[in-house]
Amino acid sequence: MEAQATHIHQEIIDRCRLGDRAAFYELYKLYSRSMYNVGYRIVNDEVEAEDVLQEAFISAFNSLQSYRGDSTFGAWLKRIVINKAINHLHKKKLERMPEDDRWDVKEEEEVDPLEGYPFTVEKVKKTIELLPDGYRSVLSMYLFEGFDHAEIGEVLGISESTSKSQFNRAKKKLKELLESN
Amino acid sequence: MNRTDMKDSLRDFIRRHRDEFDDKQPADRVWSRIENQLPGKKVSLWSNVHVWRAAAVLFLSLSVYLMISRSGNQAVNADRARLQIEFSDLEKFYNEQISDKIELISNIQEFNDEENFTQDINKLDAMYQVLREQMKAQPSEKIKDALILNMLVRIDLLNQQIKILEESENKTDEVAI
Repeated sequence: MEAQATHIHQEIIDRCRLGDRAAFYELYKLYSRSMYNVGYRIVNDEVEAEDVLQEAFISAFNSLQSYRGDSTFGAWLKRIVINKAINHLHKKKLERMPEDDRWDVKEEEEVDPLEGYPFTVEKVKKTIELLPDGYRSVLSMYLFEGFDHAEIGEVLGISESTSKSQFNRAKKKLKELLESN
Repeated sequence: MNRTDMKDSLRDFIRRHRDEFDDKQPADRVWSRIENQLPGKKVSLWSNVHVWRAAAVLFLSLSVYLMISRSGNQAVNADRARLQIEFSDLEKFYNEQISDKIELISNIQEFNDEENFTQDINKLDAMYQVLREQMKAQPSEKIKDALILNMLVRIDLLNQQIKILEESENKTDEVAI
């Protein structure tokens, strides 16, 4: 199914490369909602997530020639969205990404700390929004976007182990917040 | 790397409900902003050509309608003469513009029968001839208006083509691929 989906979009992508406006819109329609949510989970602000979405699509449309089909188009686009979103966070400078040595602590993996917790989508969403920017970015890339720690490290310019330990801290913080509500 | 075999209720919950987390919709203004910055803007004229093609079909229907529903009996002779004179002035004026523009385009590019643009122009021209015969036989305001509109549409279409050609010329000047 995945292969077929890639194939269908390939046809639209080819039309985009020829400058077909309708094809750009089709591609936007296909991916805008999911990509908007990807960006929102990182920047935590609807208006800013719109800016991220806009920048990402323009940049993707302009560099379609460089999309070689090594990954799915969605994965390629998602990477652009995440990079734009992280740039926005850096620009805001509300919070510095943690320094390696300070955060590079030994992993303290608890065994399923939230076992039996009565999750709801709404509760998880609201609680993730309460996390500090750095935690929220790592957690959302790992749990929602399927990035591994090596990829997260690459995007954030930190080491793989820093990404891991920050993810564990993010989860711990999320647990506290979930349980205090 | 997180061991996938290790139980993690949060991760499992998110995985099961992944789509429900993508509930936010971007505002329509995002697309309008993107649209303004699309690469290869000249392509936007494509949609206009489609519009003109629809207009051409409409014209054909209109001229057929006019031919069928001709009711020349109200047209007084004097009235007819006035219409003919009015029209021939306008025709001269617009036809000069049309031939100028066609010449300009031919200088840049050879006319190609395959092109939609050329087909549209030819169709409009054919309709024009039909309408013109009609104008000779049964002059009326309606036919005069249809003839003028036909010329205006062709002028518009030619202007668009000139713009496209100019833009693609500029583009090839800028980027040598």
